[in-house]
Amino acid sequence: MESSQSQITRLEQRLGADWNFIREARVRTQKKRDELRSVLAGFDSEDTSIVVFGSLARDEFTEGSDIDWTLLIDGSADPKHLELIPQITEVISKASAKDPGREGTFGNMAFSHELIHLIGGEDDTNRNTTRRILLLLESDVVGRPEAYDRVVKNVLQRYLNEDRGFLRGTAQHHVPRFLLNDLARYWRTMAVDFAYKQRTRFGRGGAIRNIKLRMSRKLIYVSGLLTCFSCQLGFGEVLGPINCHRTNGSLECIECLRRFLRRTPLEILASAFLHFEHLDETARMVVDAYNAFLGILSDQSLREHLENLPPDPDQSDETFQKARKLSHVFRDGLLELFFDEKTELCQLTKTYGVF
Amino acid sequence: MRTIGFSTGALAYADFRGGVGMLRGKSIHAIELSALRQKELLPMLRGLDELDLSQFNYIAVHAPSEFSKEDEREIVMMLLTVSQRGWPVVLHPDTIHDFSLWRELGKLLCIENMDKRKPRGRTSLELSYIFSSLPEASFCFDIAHARQVDSTMTEAYFILKDFGPRLRQLHVSEVNTRSKHDPLSLASILAFQEVADLIPEYIPLILETPVPAEQIEAEMERAREALPVHEQAFAY
Repeated sequence: MESSQSQITRLEQRLGADWNFIREARVRTQKKRDELRSVLAGFDSEDTSIVVFGSLARDEFTEGSDIDWTLLIDGSADPKHLELIPQITEVISKASAKDPGREGTFGNMAFSHELIHLIGGEDDTNRNTTRRILLLLESDVVGRPEAYDRVVKNVLQRYLNEDRGFLRGTAQHHVPRFLLNDLARYWRTMAVDFAYKQRTRFGRGGAIRNIKLRMSRKLIYVSGLLTCFSCQLGFGEVLGPINCHRTNGSLECIECLRRFLRRTPLEILASAFLHFEHLDETARMVVDAYNAFLGILSDQSLREHLENLPPDPDQSDETFQKARKLSHVFRDGLLELFFDEKTELCQLTKTYGVF
Repeated sequence: MRTIGFSTGALAYADFRGGVGMLRGKSIHAIELSALRQKELLPMLRGLDELDLSQFNYIAVHAPSEFSKEDEREIVMMLLTVSQRGWPVVLHPDTIHDFSLWRELGKLLCIENMDKRKPRGRTSLELSYIFSSLPEASFCFDIAHARQVDSTMTEAYFILKDFGPRLRQLHVSEVNTRSKHDPLSLASILAFQEVADLIPEYIPLILETPVPAEQIEAEMERAREALPVHEQAFAY
């Protein structure tokens, strides 16, 4: 994801803040990406991209992070693609502290046809939805980007071209509602799956999943909402002013959204805060909390402690309570941002985020 | 109405005389003489004076798509004889070893955007590097290559926006998954329509679709459907 001309650095400087864990994680991420790019060279092609998700895509990689990845295929079917999987797995395993998630969403092949054609309906499985939304909000490519770029653009095209109100300019606001609804669906799916995993894994790892749901998972959704609202509010500013409703407007919108989504979720959040100067204190509160959250995850002993906590952690567990309080500060700050009545965000949040 | 013609390479592979012959007598006024393989260039140039090209008011020559650095100067010298006739020379940018040699062709050098297999010249950004080294060169927009690189046609849109003022001709075809040219399908017709308004009526369309003689008119009709003339076409 894009990290030059960092929005978070600009915000940090404006506020005189010190977000050391965010900075350190970004440096660590860059190193890990460079390492992967080097060891995975030649595994991809013009029709296949190795796509990473999770902390590596968010610029939040820590020593204890796993590497979630998929081989994205946008080309002719080739049985040999399967043979690449164990080889890529072996290479990535050597660079990763842990194996990817257990649900089979990562560490496997993903096909462009499913991602592009199966939006909604019975065939849009939980896994397909997850891959598609993460492709937009929390992904990066290691190596050749051609297939990745094509698929992202095609997914965006589906959301925009099939959103008549958005394209024709007949809706009250210039917000891509089809896309936003799918992002909202994904956020709720994550929350429901949290309960599912509590049950199927007998609570193992529940404490850290809980904290991640409240922080990094929520941040993904926040960045998605802000991306959609940026069409109306204009804080994307990646292509300059665009008249989206003229001929070819959808093509410009696809490119505009694609470039905006090249930013990490934290960068997108910072873009919004940079746009609303009167919310500087809220920005400090939100990003301070996130920085501290990354500090916990960066500390191997604290991370392992959280990972090994029982399903219902003791109320006196200091680390869990600290993380939980951070998540409350984070949430309260986000509520201030999204329901701030001095900006149009409040109205957009009510109209598109609630009813 | 748009001027639509064919590439001899699409119609008759290396037999440029055969390609011209397939178009003779038809109401077709544009042609691209193809010498995609280096060995085809000299025989074609030697045969130009004997060819009856009087029915065509737009003639271009497609330069070889592969040659060594050692041969580059000689090829440029040969192609200068084409530009001296006032005909554009279509060139794949990935073939260039020494940009300074090609500047001699000036505006008649017509740089083509590339398919996804090629390492450069595929996107607007990559083309900007090429044109910065060839500031006078004109542009052959291969709409099928652009669609292969990005089937949403977003890249095609930005290529045309950025290099429309250089536009001299189009290459029109379908490019399949093996990057080979095919006749136009409905899917490509629908995709091309997305950017038709960015292509002025006076820009000739060169079809690179391999069709037998009896399907030439039908293929031209499909090209017209794919790239209708817009009353309020984009003005460069």
